[in-house]
Amino acid sequence: MFALCDCNNFYASAERLFRPELNGKPVVVLSNNDGCVIARSEEAKACGIKMGDPEFLVRDLIKKFDIHVFSSNYVLYGDMSERVMHNLGRWFPRLDVYSIDEAFGWLGGVGDLENYTPKIRNSVIRNTGIPVSIGVAPTKTLAKLANKLSKKAGGVMVLDTDEKISAAVRDFPVHDLWGVGRQYYKKFEELNISTVGALREMPEMWFKQHMTVMGQRMWNELWGRPAIPLDAVRDVKKGITVSRSFRNYIEHPDILAEALTLYASRLAEKLRAEKLRCLYLQVFLYTNKNREDHPQHFPSHTHKLLIASNNTTDLVSIAVRVSAMLFKYGVKYRKAGVIASGLVPEAELQLSAFTPHDNGKKDLVSGVLDKLNLAYGRGTLRMATEGFEKNWRLKHEYLSKSYTTRWADIIKVV
Amino acid sequence: MIRSFEKRAEQKISGFQSPAADYLEGRLDLAEKLVIDPHSTFYFQMQGTAMLSYGIADADLLVIDRSLKAHHGSIVIAFISGSFSCRLFLEENGSYLLSNDRGSICETEMGMLQVWGVVTSVCRNVLPKTLRRGRYSDVCTL
Repeated sequence: MFALCDCNNFYASAERLFRPELNGKPVVVLSNNDGCVIARSEEAKACGIKMGDPEFLVRDLIKKFDIHVFSSNYVLYGDMSERVMHNLGRWFPRLDVYSIDEAFGWLGGVGDLENYTPKIRNSVIRNTGIPVSIGVAPTKTLAKLANKLSKKAGGVMVLDTDEKISAAVRDFPVHDLWGVGRQYYKKFEELNISTVGALREMPEMWFKQHMTVMGQRMWNELWGRPAIPLDAVRDVKKGITVSRSFRNYIEHPDILAEALTLYASRLAEKLRAEKLRCLYLQVFLYTNKNREDHPQHFPSHTHKLLIASNNTTDLVSIAVRVSAMLFKYGVKYRKAGVIASGLVPEAELQLSAFTPHDNGKKDLVSGVLDKLNLAYGRGTLRMATEGFEKNWRLKHEYLSKSYTTRWADIIKVV
Repeated sequence: MIRSFEKRAEQKISGFQSPAADYLEGRLDLAEKLVIDPHSTFYFQMQGTAMLSYGIADADLLVIDRSLKAHHGSIVIAFISGSFSCRLFLEENGSYLLSNDRGSICETEMGMLQVWGVVTSVCRNVLPKTLRRGRYSDVCTL
């Protein structure tokens, strides 16, 4: 049996945990740069706020219903997610963290699921303060479906018999099914299939023909035969990206270099954490395509490194050089990013016959950088080209504090 | 704020191998005594003197474990009329009390009291003002 555990309105719930006065009130969380709505409390959903709505479009609604707005505080969400996952891990022989707020658990050998599952849920809610819902079923696809149903059934849904499964899928809308994207949905619509119950009745051959091997898997999963193992979806990383929008437009190459220094430093850090080096570093710049009155420019360039690298010094100097090459005066840049590809394991370094290699030194410096930044907080030691004012940094007007990761931000009680 | 890099002691010796090398253990870490369940533990800070007679002074650091259920006599963090408050929790004749030096509130149902977590320990900076300098200025929140 598989369980899918999902945090309810995770970002909004994490914000509310430290602001209990907002319980029962509408809360929304905005994406990076305060662009779009990416999380809503139940009350905010009832106010008519949709997922992905741009902030400026719902400003009237926010005012009208007195909705509380938060900028996304990933420092807080990351820590709360870790707490939830660790607590979940205590209840499952195996746990596969699927996203920041979801995890698949394997319940092999656990009996009396009707009793066991609510215990998991109550314990996680008490220990972390984050509400979770749990769906249990013989396959991952059905567990996902059970999870969706559990949200309206007290937070727990166990589909452990054929009768329960049949009843659950009968009226379940096909577009909410795991693995059904826009394309498949269109296909189903043409054939007038709107519920999972109806979809399941199609013969296996039909799935195979119309949806290839994925369809065959789905068909098996829907009939309660596991076809997707616990950690099947994890694929090897092909590229790592760091990209962000600026608060204001950037019109000067030096300022652009500051931003790219930060992004490339972060990228190098990520590579080192994954114990990978990259052979290619791509730098790209965006202008705001919604502003037709602005000159548009979307340059990008991929630099090939002679020797694969993951140290901050190398990647920053390349990123800065390439950005200077791409930059054009008179253009207002809105966003920039760096992508590392051609990833090779750190241990398998191939040297070049014609260039001297002293990366041992630079790698050492990067190691020191990582240790200091881990011990004293991110950004303690950084490249000077990052600058000090950083007016280009993300807009987050409604940012809450990092209650669980910074001493200065802990809650004061009376 | 300092988090240790390596918990385990390590020795590098150019001359003779230390006879203690086989007996090295990690040094004592206070967090092991203060934090029982790190994934359920939060830190708050006391502000004011409302809990002075229960031994909690202004600026004390409170270690809060959410996994515990409040029992008679435990110090808890509760959410009372719009703010977090540190209180003593008591069960008396079927009703529940949250009290501090300013007074107490009473409910007949546990659910009516918004208890957020149980305080497991208190950390305090006991240095006199003259010694609270530099890296010692914030000792209890180290």
